Amino acid sequence: MRWMKTWLVVALILAFATAGPGLAQTKLKVGFIYVGPIGDYGWTHAHNQARLIAEKTLPIETLYVESVPEAQVEPFIDKLIQQGSKVVLTTSFGFMDGTLAMAKRYPNILFGHASGFKRNPNMFTYMADFYQIYYLNGLMAGALTKTGKVAYVGAFPIPEVKRHLGAFALGVRAVNPKATVNVRWLFAWFDPAKAKEATEALIAEGADVFAFTEDSPTVVQVAAKKGLPSFSHYSPMQRYAPQGVVSGQLVHWERIYVDFLSKVLAGKYNATNLQNVDYWWLLAEKAAEVGGEFGVPINPVWVSKLQAAKVNTKEFGTLSVYDLVMRRLAQMSKTPVAFDPFTGPIRDRKGVLRVPAGHTMTVLELTTMEWAAPGIVGPWPKEP
Amino acid sequence: MEEWVVNTFIRGLALGTPLLWAALGEIYAERSGVVNLGVEGMMILGAFSAFALAQTTANPLLGLLIAAGAGAAAALLHAFVTITLRANQYVSGLALTMLGLGLSALLGRRWEGLPLLDTLPEVSAFTYLSLLLAVLLWFVLYHTRWGIVIRSAGEAPAAVDTLGVNVALVRYLAVIFGGALAGVGGGFLSVAYRPSWTEGMTNGLGWIAIAIAIFASWDPLRAVAGAFLFGALFHLSFRLQTWVAPEPLQMMPFAFTIVVLALTARRGGRAQGAPAALGLPYVRGER
Repeated sequence: MRWMKTWLVVALILAFATAGPGLAQTKLKVGFIYVGPIGDYGWTHAHNQARLIAEKTLPIETLYVESVPEAQVEPFIDKLIQQGSKVVLTTSFGFMDGTLAMAKRYPNILFGHASGFKRNPNMFTYMADFYQIYYLNGLMAGALTKTGKVAYVGAFPIPEVKRHLGAFALGVRAVNPKATVNVRWLFAWFDPAKAKEATEALIAEGADVFAFTEDSPTVVQVAAKKGLPSFSHYSPMQRYAPQGVVSGQLVHWERIYVDFLSKVLAGKYNATNLQNVDYWWLLAEKAAEVGGEFGVPINPVWVSKLQAAKVNTKEFGTLSVYDLVMRRLAQMSKTPVAFDPFTGPIRDRKGVLRVPAGHTMTVLELTTMEWAAPGIVGPWPKEP
Repeated sequence: MEEWVVNTFIRGLALGTPLLWAALGEIYAERSGVVNLGVEGMMILGAFSAFALAQTTANPLLGLLIAAGAGAAAALLHAFVTITLRANQYVSGLALTMLGLGLSALLGRRWEGLPLLDTLPEVSAFTYLSLLLAVLLWFVLYHTRWGIVIRSAGEAPAAVDTLGVNVALVRYLAVIFGGALAGVGGGFLSVAYRPSWTEGMTNGLGWIAIAIAIFASWDPLRAVAGAFLFGALFHLSFRLQTWVAPEPLQMMPFAFTIVVLALTARRGGRAQGAPAALGLPYVRGER
């Protein structure tokens, strides 16, 4: 029997020795390109959290480069490919053309680009969008403003931010038809000093509820210091102002990453069939979540105030704003959705009909939107 | 109207204070003949260490103290490289900026997202102390023997050397002192101006402080005007967006501060040029 034992040990060793490198070879290497630092507590931080979750969930290995200048994405992609990446994901709008050029140069590598619109047989696009959530935040903001002035600190006047602002303003007006949404632009994705002074300017103007697009919790903190409510952006910022944050927007990029990469692992997606793959994932796909902290759609501190505020709607009659938010959330969490904020008739702030009655804006219309929704007050570069 | 004036004034003080501290530090370093482009790096190290200590001990003033230490330690590195090793001051300063940003990001990971319960008010006794400090530093620079020694080290190091002054020591002290002030400026950002820690949160303010030092013609009192003017205009550039297009407004605080400081530099009897030996390592016996 001893010889059998010996054989068994030898066989096991051989099996492991051959299986070892074999296993390593099947591990898919995925490279990520980030535009900011992973500690920005905003966009890049969220992508990095998603990368870590994907790495835990799937048999993959990941690499990343942070703070990549938008014009210099190509050499960084080259480097990731040299290091063995078979999939490269670039996470900023400005990486679009560079990523496409590299996709054409490396036809056997799979590429993914977040927030853009250019695709290739080996390059797909993806986006987890917040416009539905901004609408829900707007409903709450409309109920909470006492001065009738709601504030929005915007990063750049580009379609993405204009869409979010538009949905937010539509929400505010649905509850409070006389309220305005006062806007300030930073021309920066990350600039705490600018965000701070813009918020101070809006406070001086009389605004008393705050929403924003900027990758730091500055707006939340400045508002909370004056005892004013705000909506957190991108990362869970309720912890910066436990009494001040009402709700906010949270992202789950891992939903998209895990879905796409598991389909690559299963052989469903390869370098020839991505031409029409575009993830535009929202509430229903659970790529976006409403709240200032994961699992908390509305901060309990603010629930009673929202329950006390009543609103009259065509669809549901008179109900509390809290109930309206919950019903709209349920409607938008279904597939297909039972409600979309951008359903006509909608006129812009100049009175031009932008969405005809019965029409709901398409993804293309949403991603190229330039007009300002009614109630928005402030500069609007490239206003049609 | 009154609200506008009062509010703009307060905002000018709030953002001007950290800029003033960093600019005063740079003025002293450059007056002694050493350019330190590492202000951004020293500020962020100050911001990080101030937040970390203030968060742990619930004492923001203690945070500012450690920020001074962190800034001084970073400046010591620059002093060693540029004064003892006589390396290029510009390169060393840039390296210090990168080192500060990287090191604070690395150490700061676990402080990300933590609240700060005890903060320093933006406009407080500290603000008036800053003004007093500027006056004091101006007095020392122009009306004391120490001031003459520091300025001479930057204007004619060989001359003060022949008088028996240790040029290297003077420069070391000025650079380290400058680093301590930049550290406090950064610390003010993380415990008072915006009480939290975020990677890269100085976001270019260090460079603005250097610009203020230069355009103030290395004069502490003019730096006060430059810093507070910049702070006020920076705030106004957002306040005015309702009436003026935001794109040109973005440039306004930078352009206006430079123009004002440049115009006023033409007046007054004192020579307003850069220190003659600025950026040059001093080697005894060499010209």
